[in-house]
Amino acid sequence: MSLYRLLKNLLPLLLLTACATVPAPPLDYRPGAVLDTLSSAVSLSIRAADSSMSGSGYLLFRRPDQIHLVVLSPFGTTMMEAFALGDRITLVYPARSTAYVGNFDELPERGGLQGWRLMRWVMDADASGENPLNGPVQRMSKLGFSEKVTFENGLVIAKESSAGDQVYYRNYSVVNGVPVAAELDLRNDRGDRIRILLDEPEVNTPLEDAVFTPNLDGLTVVPLSAIQGL
Amino acid sequence: MISIKQARMFFLLLLALLLTSSTCYARTISPVEGLEALRRGFTGISDFTADITQEKKLSLMKRTMVMSGSLRFKKPDLFFMEIKPPFNSRMLLRDNIIEQAAGNDKAPVRIALPPEQGLKQWFLKLASPITSLPEGVAVQADLTNTVYTVTIAPAGKGQVKDIAIVFLGDGTIRRLVINERNGDRATMTLKKVRRNVGLTEKNFRLE
Repeated sequence: MSLYRLLKNLLPLLLLTACATVPAPPLDYRPGAVLDTLSSAVSLSIRAADSSMSGSGYLLFRRPDQIHLVVLSPFGTTMMEAFALGDRITLVYPARSTAYVGNFDELPERGGLQGWRLMRWVMDADASGENPLNGPVQRMSKLGFSEKVTFENGLVIAKESSAGDQVYYRNYSVVNGVPVAAELDLRNDRGDRIRILLDEPEVNTPLEDAVFTPNLDGLTVVPLSAIQGL
Repeated sequence: MISIKQARMFFLLLLALLLTSSTCYARTISPVEGLEALRRGFTGISDFTADITQEKKLSLMKRTMVMSGSLRFKKPDLFFMEIKPPFNSRMLLRDNIIEQAAGNDKAPVRIALPPEQGLKQWFLKLASPITSLPEGVAVQADLTNTVYTVTIAPAGKGQVKDIAIVFLGDGTIRRLVINERNGDRATMTLKKVRRNVGLTEKNFRLE
C-alpha cells in the first residue's frame, strides 16, 4: 500500500479519535498537601451592579489569612492594592494617594467591595485527605459559618456559604505537589462577581513579612467606610 | 598564512571598528529642546501601530511580570491596546472614555475621565511649538546618536515619580518607562512600529 493510500485510510480514523471526548485523568497530587503560600501573576475582573474593574496583577497569599493583591493599569502602573490580615483590610489607591483602612465588616454594601470580605473563604480550599471525596459535603467553614463544599476526585470544585455566596474552582494543576485551581470565580448574593485567573503560580515558597505589609508613607489614610467604590 | 604581526593588526583594526561603531555620542540637551523634538516628531504622524512588550517590576517581588501585545493609535483621540494571553485584555481609549475588557469578557468596563484629560485636549496642547517648560514638571533630556530620551518628573508626591520617553527624531517611540514612588517600575517597549498606515474607525473596536 502506498503511503498516500495509507494516510487516506488512516486520516479519518485519526480525526475521529481526536474528536472523541476523553475525560481528564485525576490529578496526581500529594495526599494531605496544603497550600501554605501562593504567589502568582493574575488576570482579574471585578464586576458589580454599580462599579467594575479589570486588569492584570499579582496575588500573594499566606495561610491562614494574609493576602496581598496588586491590580495594574493598562500601562502597568499600580491601580490598586489590597492587603488583608485577619479581620483587617487595607485598600491602597496610589493615584489618589489614599489608603482606606478598617475591618471587613466596615466595607460598604455597594460599590463592588463586598467581594473582598470573602477572599479568605475563597483561599480556603484544601483537597480532601487520603480518601478523595466526591459530591457535596455540608460542614462548618474555618470562618465559623456553614458551607456546602462540592468535591470531585478530592478537589474542591465549588463552595456555597450559608449566606448564598458561591465560589467555583476550575482548571486545577499540581504545583509543588499541591493541587491549585487556576481559575477562581466568586459570586455573591448581590450579583457581584470576582474572577481571578492565576498564571504560573508558585506554591509554598517562603514569603517575607514585608510583602504583606502596606507601605502607607505619603498616603492619606482614611477609614474604610469612606470609600465610594472600586 | 597570517603572520602574528598581521593577526595583531587585524585584531587592532577590529577593535577600533567595534569601538568606533559602539561609540555613543550622548549629549545633554535642554528640556525645552527635548520636549519640542517629541512634539515636532509627532506632528508628522497621523496614526501608528506597534507590537509591545510590557514589563512590570514590583518592588516587593523578585519576579518581573512580562506581557506582550499590540497597540494602535490614530490622531486625534483614538488609542487601542491589546495584551495577549495569559493576561489577555483589551483597552480602547476614545478621547476621555476608557473601555476595558479582561479575558473573554463580552461586556467591557467603562470609565469616563474628566474631559480635560481626554486625548483631544492633549493634542491641542501639542499644536504649537514648545518654547518654555510646562508648570509643575521637571524635565531632563538627552540625545544619544539619533535617540532622544526625555524624562518628565511631576512635582509633588503623586504616584508617578517620573516617566521616561525614548524616541527617534521622526516621532517613533521606542520605549516608555514609568517609575512609581513605591519603587515599582513599568516598561513598555515598542517594536515593529508602522507609521501612517491609514487606520480607520474600524480598527478601534473592542469586539
